[in-house]
Amino acid sequence: MVEILPKMPKSWNPESKPHKFCPGCGHGLVLKALGQAIDELGIQDRVVFGCDIGCSLLSWDFFNVDTVQTHHGRTTPVMVGIKRANPNLVVVAYMGDGGGYAIGSQHLVNAATRNEKITCILVNNTNYAMTGGQMAPTTMPGQKTETTPYGRDVEETGYPMLGPEMVAAITREGAYAARGSVAKFAQLKKYIKKALENQMAGRGFSFVEALSTCPTNWRTNAAQTWQFIEETMTKYFPLGEFKVPEGKED
Amino acid sequence: MSTAAAPAYLKKVYTTEVNKGKAVFAIFPGLCKGCGLCKEKCPEGALSWSEKLGVYGTPTVTPDPELCKACGICERVCPDCAIAIIRVDKEK
Ligand SMILES: Cc1ncc(C[n+]2csc(CCOP(=O)(O)OP(=O)(O)O)c2C)c(N)n1
Ligand code: SF4
Ligand code: SF4
Ligand code: SF4
Ligand SMILES: [Mg+2]
Repeated sequence: MVEILPKMPKSWNPESKPHKFCPGCGHGLVLKALGQAIDELGIQDRVVFGCDIGCSLLSWDFFNVDTVQTHHGRTTPVMVGIKRANPNLVVVAYMGDGGGYAIGSQHLVNAATRNEKITCILVNNTNYAMTGGQMAPTTMPGQKTETTPYGRDVEETGYPMLGPEMVAAITREGAYAARGSVAKFAQLKKYIKKALENQMAGRGFSFVEALSTCPTNWRTNAAQTWQFIEETMTKYFPLGEFKVPEGKED
Repeated sequence: MSTAAAPAYLKKVYTTEVNKGKAVFAIFPGLCKGCGLCKEKCPEGALSWSEKLGVYGTPTVTPDPELCKACGICERVCPDCAIAIIRVDKEK
């Protein structure tokens, strides 16, 4: 009998599994897509992975690659520095919506404006998950969170942040911006792969937002979890590519 | 594998022959967190809760060998890589 092994990406660190994310957490799926993309591109020995504050930090020992953990949104400039010091590396800044779009949003805006040659993957789970499910910039109108018990009131707190659309608007030619979802795994993986290849080609800032599940703070069972990400979230956060370098369209 | 001791989840795997013996459905209880995402996504309704418990003491899933078509969707949607669908003819 052949030995049966789990089909984990080769770039995952098998010794840190099962990983630290909650049951049904989308972070595991985003990092599976990233792991498979790294494997397919054969770049494991060149990747530096940076995770942020928030649940993303639970990935500090996730991959068998050099990893650094920084504070809210600072993962982006830290990865910029590493890339500038050694352009042969493939750097990945991995963060949540609270870290990337609110607490550390200046870093995303400035790195995008400068068209830094890095890949940024931002997990949109519509809340500040690690701290117990408070409202994030991505919380949708009417959505209940710990700090919006009656639903998000857009008169008071504004509309959800549209990250890839913003990145597409402020970057120059050569940049890449897309929004995928863990509910469409093959598409998400394709976007992540393109974002890595775009960095490797030295074209420009490469950004993927991933719609992701957080059953713990959403307080959803499996059926409700899929419904929330597939139906409710995509109403506000359309999937697709928002900026693709010339000649790299599908 | 590396030189370190093998991870605990490798110690136990439950297998079921599915799709008329053309594939094996394997589940690693040491990885399964009982989230149910796979069960909801199975297009054949082939998955049900198992008496075998996973890493957090919650039920794992088990396939109905008559219904499972070895399509691999459950394997793909599992955030923990707890399911492996192995096509038997490929292994030979
Ligand atoms: C400057 C600062 N403010 C607040 C916190 C507390 N804090 C830690 S994680 C977190 C939320 C992170 O949310 P997000 O980036 O969306 O990641 P998620 O946990 O949802 O994946 C907050 C507010 C902090 N660590 N530092
Ligand atoms: S709190 Fe939410 S985002 Fe954080 S690990 Fe749990 S499910 Fe994932
Ligand atoms: S392989 Fe396909 S048919 Fe079989 S249990 Fe998984 S999802 Fe269902
Ligand atoms: S096999 Fe995976 S997707 Fe299915 S219940 Fe277990 S952890 Fe969740
Ligand atoms: Mg979040």
